[in-house]
Amino acid sequence: MLKMIIPTIMLIPTTWLTPAKWLWPATLAHSLLIAMYSTTWLTCLAETSWSTLNSYVAVDPISIPLLMLTCWLLPLMILASQNHLALEPANRQRTYISLLTSLQFFLILAFSATEMALFYIAFEATLIPTLIIITRWGNQAERITAGVYFLFYTLMASLPLLVALLVLQHHAGSLSILTTQFLYPTYYTSYSNKLWWAGCMLAFLVKLPLYGVHLWLPKAHVEAPVAGSMILAAVLLKLGGYGMMRMMAILDPLTKELSYPFIIFALWGLVMMGSTCLRQADLKSMIAYSSVAHMGLVVAGILIQTQWSFTGALILMIAHGLTASALFCLANTNYERTHSRVMLLTRGLQMALPLMTAWWFLATLANLALPPLPNLMAELMVLTALCNWSPWTILFTGAGVLITAAYSLYMFLMTQRGRLPPHIKSLDPSHSREHLVIALHLTPVTLLIFKPELIWTWLI
Amino acid sequence: MIKIVKFAREHWVNILVPMGFVIGWFLDKQQDQKLTAFRNKSILYSRELKPGEEVTWK
Amino acid sequence: MNPYVLITLLFGLGLGTTITFTSSHWLLAWMGLEINTLAIIPLMTQHHHPRAVEATTKYFLTQATAAAMLLFASTTNAWLTGQWEIQQMTHPFPTTMIILALALKVGLAPMHSWLPEVLQGLSLTTGLILSTWQKLAPFALLLQIQPADPFILITLGLTSTLVGGWGGLNQTQLRKILAYSSIAHLGWMMLILQFSPTITLLTLITYLLMTTSTFLVFKLNKATNIATLAISWTKTPALTSLTPLILLSLGGLPPLTGFMPKWLILQELTKQDLSTLATLTALTALLSLFFYLRLSYAMALTLSPNNATGTTPWRLSSTQSNLPLALSTTTSILLLPLAPAAMALFTP
Repeated sequence: MLKMIIPTIMLIPTTWLTPAKWLWPATLAHSLLIAMYSTTWLTCLAETSWSTLNSYVAVDPISIPLLMLTCWLLPLMILASQNHLALEPANRQRTYISLLTSLQFFLILAFSATEMALFYIAFEATLIPTLIIITRWGNQAERITAGVYFLFYTLMASLPLLVALLVLQHHAGSLSILTTQFLYPTYYTSYSNKLWWAGCMLAFLVKLPLYGVHLWLPKAHVEAPVAGSMILAAVLLKLGGYGMMRMMAILDPLTKELSYPFIIFALWGLVMMGSTCLRQADLKSMIAYSSVAHMGLVVAGILIQTQWSFTGALILMIAHGLTASALFCLANTNYERTHSRVMLLTRGLQMALPLMTAWWFLATLANLALPPLPNLMAELMVLTALCNWSPWTILFTGAGVLITAAYSLYMFLMTQRGRLPPHIKSLDPSHSREHLVIALHLTPVTLLIFKPELIWTWLI
Repeated sequence: MIKIVKFAREHWVNILVPMGFVIGWFLDKQQDQKLTAFRNKSILYSRELKPGEEVTWK
Repeated sequence: MNPYVLITLLFGLGLGTTITFTSSHWLLAWMGLEINTLAIIPLMTQHHHPRAVEATTKYFLTQATAAAMLLFASTTNAWLTGQWEIQQMTHPFPTTMIILALALKVGLAPMHSWLPEVLQGLSLTTGLILSTWQKLAPFALLLQIQPADPFILITLGLTSTLVGGWGGLNQTQLRKILAYSSIAHLGWMMLILQFSPTITLLTLITYLLMTTSTFLVFKLNKATNIATLAISWTKTPALTSLTPLILLSLGGLPPLTGFMPKWLILQELTKQDLSTLATLTALTALLSLFFYLRLSYAMALTLSPNNATGTTPWRLSSTQSNLPLALSTTTSILLLPLAPAAMALFTP
């Protein structure tokens, strides 16, 4: 495990000591090296439970896909931000890359922690680099509000989580993820126990985010620079889903009674957020709302706690991570050329950037869950599990899937098809760097069609 | 010669990440050895060895 | 100020605190506190302008009141129980009175309103002494008292964290913000005092480290309000990018040092089955976090416009010694992984 963590830490001195002209190539190469090395975790998938066990960290089949996603995202973020930071002085570029690297460090710690306290600290520690990335390198003045929303929404819910964890530690004597799932289940249904349940869940529901506590997410996404949006959509939201999966083992008997309102919110959110997407004028905000809608399925899948729904939620987290990140990259390529996120002003780009349209097409199809893609596998599994749990949910999930297709189509048609508006006189042609970023996002999505068991391990 | 010095001055930092990997690998191995030693001594996991079997098993 | 006078005063400061530390007799402890107060008063009026004199007067009056209350309470204690031992406070009435007197002395809500006013009138160096060294003697006494009534400390603590958070929200003056930050942190220390004095001490020390680095950063930048802070990137660019971490550490975000005392306090409170109180206190920390966040925004996360010549002051080297700043900054950011060691260090 330290084989991954120490090189990640070493990436920070590398960033600061490399000559300025080698800064981006060197960090990219090394982060790719780490990402490549992370594929050795796949050999651990064959084992049924924890492997590479250390005193504090270990990996298991739930965390391996998420860890690999984290490691994969860092080179992509570095690649995607090059143009955004091209005009900044070298030291600020270095600071930026260091922040991204520290984010990867904390995320690896969070996903591989075997102790809830370490998980909590790493979970919270991701806030600071993300906050700095959003508020320091965002583009509009509204980024200040976005930063405040981001920090305070998350902390409002996660401080009760800290207290809830400490209460658990007081009663169980340990917070180890390895052993707490074998705790004798608590059958109290007292008021305070229900509050404790809510305390354990709420932080993750806000982070994911659940419909109703999601307001921070579109703001943060819209204001963040491209790397911030990417990591937020791809990995930071998944921290919530991962945390819920881990906590579920401890919260067992209470969840059955208490999860109804949250499932209702999640399913209702699926429809509502989809409908919100249908009337968005802002491209990035639309992708952000689409993330909220997809995360609704994850919440519902995790809360009903069947094997199929858990697996579906995990696959959805991975597939959505890659897809949403690709969409944010595409939105950023448009933004860097037109300096506008408004879809009405950036129409008909097929005429100007034809190859980009191909990427838009693929990413949109992945977003609306086209048949062989892992996105569809995930949605099918969660939908089936939900339908098995209660047939009525098909009303919401069915409508949700339909609306997802509708707004994805709307997004594609609006940005790519039609006539190029007259105010767009000249656009930079697309760089091979941009094509590479999108290709590196969509290749794993496509390859996972052929070997989905890499992220399905929960079921096997 | 000067070219080599220049090259070394510009690119020596690239050794840091691989070095981190080596250090991590070493520490991981030490940890594994420690845990294995613990397991070999423990009553819970110990068992009768087949003739010719190593003390450590996987 | 004449260096001999300065040295005498600083010696007086040290002497007063040391006397209080070492005394087991209330009268001697009271004397130490008085020496302390009298030594800092000339330092406060060092720059002899009306605002400083006003601050000094306010400080003198509150400290004198507190000291008189303390003296009265300890005399009453001697009268009621027949002894002057600090650690043998058995009667509830003098104990409560002494806690209130010491609360007035350090500036705990609801006896806090002098602190922002006084701190605002001082130079940053004297302010630093006031909010670090001057807290030590009263805390040495507080740590030795066993309160009879558990509610008084919790009430003091909770109101302080609330008032500290709320008061700082609409301030633009850095020294007032730091005063409210001090009130909030002292509130956390009060909450845990009766359950685990060790953690109180640990919290006090980490708070002193963090507030020292904040004061020194502001002093290096010659900044007394948020607007001046906004151009600090032209003076000390590297420090400016580290300062948000110090400020967020004061706010108690993991993985910075400031989270360590909060974590331990919440843990101790939940061990005492006070989870509701723990949650409430944790949430009041968000109020304080808001103004730290605002300072970080102004200082490092936004770039204020400047003209071409305005961006050059970083070329002038500072005459201030940087070693204390470097040490306190490092410790106030990176101490969390050493939490078990720190805890072991303070456990008697």
